[in-house]
Amino acid sequence: MLGENTRLRNELQEKSRALAEATAHRSQFLGNMSHELRTPLNAILGYTELILDDIYGGVPEPMRRVLKRIESNGKHLLGLINDVLDLAKIEAGQLTLTLAEYSMAEVVRNVFSAVEPLAAEKKLALTVDLAADLPGGHGDERRLTQVLLNLVGNAIKFTDSGEVAIAAASDNRAFHVSVRDTGPGITPADQARLFQEFQQADNSLTKKKGGTGLGLAISKRIIEMHGGRIRVESAPGRGSTFSFTLPITVTQQARRP
Amino acid sequence: MSNRILVVEDQEDNRRIVRDLLTTTDYEVTEAENGEEALASVARQRPDLILMDIQLPVMDGYEATRRIKADPALREIPIIAVTSYALSGDEEKARAAGCDDFVPKPYSPRQLLAKIRKFLP
Repeated sequence: MLGENTRLRNELQEKSRALAEATAHRSQFLGNMSHELRTPLNAILGYTELILDDIYGGVPEPMRRVLKRIESNGKHLLGLINDVLDLAKIEAGQLTLTLAEYSMAEVVRNVFSAVEPLAAEKKLALTVDLAADLPGGHGDERRLTQVLLNLVGNAIKFTDSGEVAIAAASDNRAFHVSVRDTGPGITPADQARLFQEFQQADNSLTKKKGGTGLGLAISKRIIEMHGGRIRVESAPGRGSTFSFTLPITVTQQARRP
Repeated sequence: MSNRILVVEDQEDNRRIVRDLLTTTDYEVTEAENGEEALASVARQRPDLILMDIQLPVMDGYEATRRIKADPALREIPIIAVTSYALSGDEEKARAAGCDDFVPKPYSPRQLLAKIRKFLP
């Protein structure tokens, strides 16, 4: 009986050691992969920008147009690589939040200025409603910015006319941030799949609008790692509102549910 | 006298991009392909700023940065980490090693130049 317990315990220890090793290998692999994929892309995007900046001499207009296509495709590829690596990291349990003081108002303003040109290009009204009394937060500012960028970016991408409205408020323990659009809306069946990996509501839209279908899955994980919740309210023809509730002060990363 | 920038980078293309970018400026560029070469170069001729790749053969950028920052005669030289390790936590690691700033790859040459000008106006 005692011998059996010892044997089981040893076996368990051995298994957990092997698991830790496999996880370490995976993490190493992700790091290498990230490096290997980004290095050549760095060269492609770097040279393209130098050419566009006339570092090698004046560039004729038709060539400039093609170079801009190369640049935007390269950036798109970079977005895909980042998404896939982020998700792989989350899956491997290797994504850790960097928790520090931050300003939610600042996050909203930064996202606003980053996407303003995209909204202007599509002639969409982009509005921000920021509660005046937002308290200082504690969380991973970079990751939260990534989430809000994803939500606002999606709203702009899928809305052809009307407006995209960002709002941020708080109660005594949580931030409430929402992104409302006047886009096509999403059916209840599609809403259920939206936050899963590799799902976009309408696969034909993916072809037209681009994107990996990973952004919302990543956003959901990031919000949940902060102990928050993300949700969507929508109906076809009536636009969509994506929102998240997030503890103001996050001092510890939530374990995976 | 123009400011000297040491570019520590093992990839030929990435060195060339920085070199081409900086030919339009007043900066003078020296190059090293790994951490050990970087230390030798710094000892030979003190640069005014270092662009430090992190994943390098022979000696990585963290170690090279630690050694430069441990030398009282050299620790004032600003070091900008330029790295593809742009996953969460890597910026903290670079800063812990003593890097003064951090640029994730792929970077925009325009933005890299703006970062350099922050230290060497």
